[in-house]
Amino acid sequence: MANKKFIKALNKKFKEAPEDKTTTYYTYGGWTQSERKTEFVNAGKEVAKKRGIPQYSPDVGTPLGQRALMPYQASSTDTYVEGDDFHFVNNAAIQQMWDDIRRTVIVGLNTAHNVIEKRLGMEVTPETIMEYLETVNHAMPGAAVVQEHMVETHPSLVADSYVKIFTGDDELADEIDKSFVLDINKEFPADQAKALKAEVGDKVWQIVRIPTIVSRVCDGGTTSRWSAMQIGMSMISAYNQCAGEGATGDFAYASKHAEVIHMGSYLPVRRARAENEPGGVAFGFLADMSQATRTDPDDPVKSSLEVVAMGAALYDQIWLGSYMSGGVGFTQYATAAYTDNVLDDFSYYGKEYVEDKFGLCKAPNNMDTVLDVGSEVAFYGLEQYEEYPALLETQFGGSQRASVVSAAAGIATAFATGNAQTGLSAWYLAMYLHKEQHARLGFYGYDLQDQCGASNVFSIRADEGLPLEMRGPNYPNYAMNVGHQGEYAGIAQSAHSARGDAFAFNPLVKISFADKNLSFDFSKVRAEFAKGALREFQPDGERSLIIPAK
Amino acid sequence: MAQYYPGTSQVADNRRKFLNPDKKLEKLREISDEDVVKVLGHRAPGEEYKSVHPPLDEMDEPDDIVRELVEPIDGAKAGDRIRYIQFTDSMYFAPAHPFIRSRAYLNRYRGVDAGTLSGRQIVEARERDLEKLSKELLETEFFDPARSGIRGKTVHGHSLRLDEDGMMFDMLRRQVLNKSTGKVESVKDQIGRELDEPVVLGEPLDEKTLRNKTTIYRVDGEAYKDDKDAVEVLHHIHVSRSQGGFCPE
Repeated sequence: MANKKFIKALNKKFKEAPEDKTTTYYTYGGWTQSERKTEFVNAGKEVAKKRGIPQYSPDVGTPLGQRALMPYQASSTDTYVEGDDFHFVNNAAIQQMWDDIRRTVIVGLNTAHNVIEKRLGMEVTPETIMEYLETVNHAMPGAAVVQEHMVETHPSLVADSYVKIFTGDDELADEIDKSFVLDINKEFPADQAKALKAEVGDKVWQIVRIPTIVSRVCDGGTTSRWSAMQIGMSMISAYNQCAGEGATGDFAYASKHAEVIHMGSYLPVRRARAENEPGGVAFGFLADMSQATRTDPDDPVKSSLEVVAMGAALYDQIWLGSYMSGGVGFTQYATAAYTDNVLDDFSYYGKEYVEDKFGLCKAPNNMDTVLDVGSEVAFYGLEQYEEYPALLETQFGGSQRASVVSAAAGIATAFATGNAQTGLSAWYLAMYLHKEQHARLGFYGYDLQDQCGASNVFSIRADEGLPLEMRGPNYPNYAMNVGHQGEYAGIAQSAHSARGDAFAFNPLVKISFADKNLSFDFSKVRAEFAKGALREFQPDGERSLIIPAK
Repeated sequence: MAQYYPGTSQVADNRRKFLNPDKKLEKLREISDEDVVKVLGHRAPGEEYKSVHPPLDEMDEPDDIVRELVEPIDGAKAGDRIRYIQFTDSMYFAPAHPFIRSRAYLNRYRGVDAGTLSGRQIVEARERDLEKLSKELLETEFFDPARSGIRGKTVHGHSLRLDEDGMMFDMLRRQVLNKSTGKVESVKDQIGRELDEPVVLGEPLDEKTLRNKTTIYRVDGEAYKDDKDAVEVLHHIHVSRSQGGFCPE
């Protein structure tokens, strides 16, 4: 591409021209060159003094800062920050993104309404639904509706907890108070709204957000339990049920099991995680949580890379990096996919190549297209590292480069075919090309899943051959390899972005995150991460109300 | 006949040379056995090899057909520890690169365990066997004193721009260019402990020689995409693996 999207970042990072092959090392003053490390050193001294145990000291271990400790640009923004600012511990936006996913459950009202109408012979009307919604919005944050002398939560601590509904029935939606309704017509472009409403039909679904603070103290499995308990109590209250009659059991069953969509599925016992934990979030679900498809429907690269960024933070930084591994280094790998506009450059190149040669979604959905587009984009990406030494130094780890190059190849191929499976095939092809061109790839994990992965892309065996949208972090061989899962989710999205689909996998998930009441804006993932890095993001679930003021 | 690597380029040819154990590699420098031991840092020169088990001859091992078929390597016979040498290879035309090293080692040496990453490549073996192969790796065209680094930990440098003196970056500065002699010296062992005396590794290879010997494809050298035969074989592998998963029969 004539206008390389990463050049601006390279110029900001290094004093030399991006094409220069040499520089001067060992003259940067170590960690003192970094504002953030300097801040850490001063803070570490304070901590050590206060607690009497040594803490942060970069002079321990290897001599940090012998080369330029470079800043990073949050891709698609003008924000430059230090790498540390993207560690999830240091970034409240990344934390809230995950909090908002973990504390969400989608629960149908349809079974409950059937029980009320068919078993109990009572009427369900817009008025009764609104009475129920008013009740449940009192109860969901942690308040009592049925018994007296109950302990309750402070409303200010749980201000982020609420219940909204959506339906494909415009007439019904019109009759419900606006404050309780996520209006599909208002949030989505007309064609997407039409498609989504057709999927939902006349069913009514609740979007339940339990308090951030609850899901943090407990776990993702708590979300549906907390939700079901408050829903059950609210049903009893709103419809004047007897607390012991059989119908209440049906409400509980419906809201705990029958009509519940968790954001993440339960993991096998060997991974020992409940629902709504990161390892169970399917790639297609993550794709649907991202909202750039509705705000930027004409930019398939952007909507795909927003998903990549979400996945890099959730799957790599939080899930693999901390839940599974416990290390702090995963951030360095993961951020390559959403910083410095590198993946953006490679992906826009791929999109242009596809548009020029085939047109989006117009290429044959076969191996010839995989070999053509996958090779073209992989070669382009690899050559950028060779032509711009500053770029190679920016993405200094082979795992970073392997993920970024393969993601671009996969995304571009899915643009060509409109099918995520051929996109995935191109991912693996790009891994082979990379490995042979540079005689290196990523860390050991890339010798596992990226060498055997091609064999399960088109497998007809039930588990191995899952469509990419249905795969997730716990898919065989995907379970312990940084720099892959967010990119897989992005490839899953890219096919649907190119097709102009309203959703990738689950329309209910897509609708549920088109929600202005969430403090994390899922339509601007990278911009939100940048805001978090700048310490400008206001998260939910803070407990300053109940701790001593400073 | 074994086919070691496809392609018609010089890079492909160089890869075949490394991978083919029948090809003798060019010896470019002399490094004494004692200096090899110093750089490895596993034992002091002259120190006895540490053992992890008695010599095999003294062990009452059960009968086993594999023991009859496979002649133990010297270090195994003696009961040596397993130790390592690890290299970092600059992407700026270093002679060897990680996967080429691993593939070459497994073809050329018995009783070794190779590990491959982007920024480092490790080989482990019984200590006396390791010293023997390390000497070959350091003296031959596997190695360039400026673009190849002997690094046990804190390995990074493979993808970084070169220092102004042409050396690959190493935050521990184990190999330094002695400007008065024009030769590179190891001033620390591979793990970063300072040596009493530097070990002279010799002069860096000039750019032209490096480009003739390198095993990395680069657009400013030989582009992989232009090596049509090599890419065709790779495409064939991808298609075969994909089809194999689709219909294993």
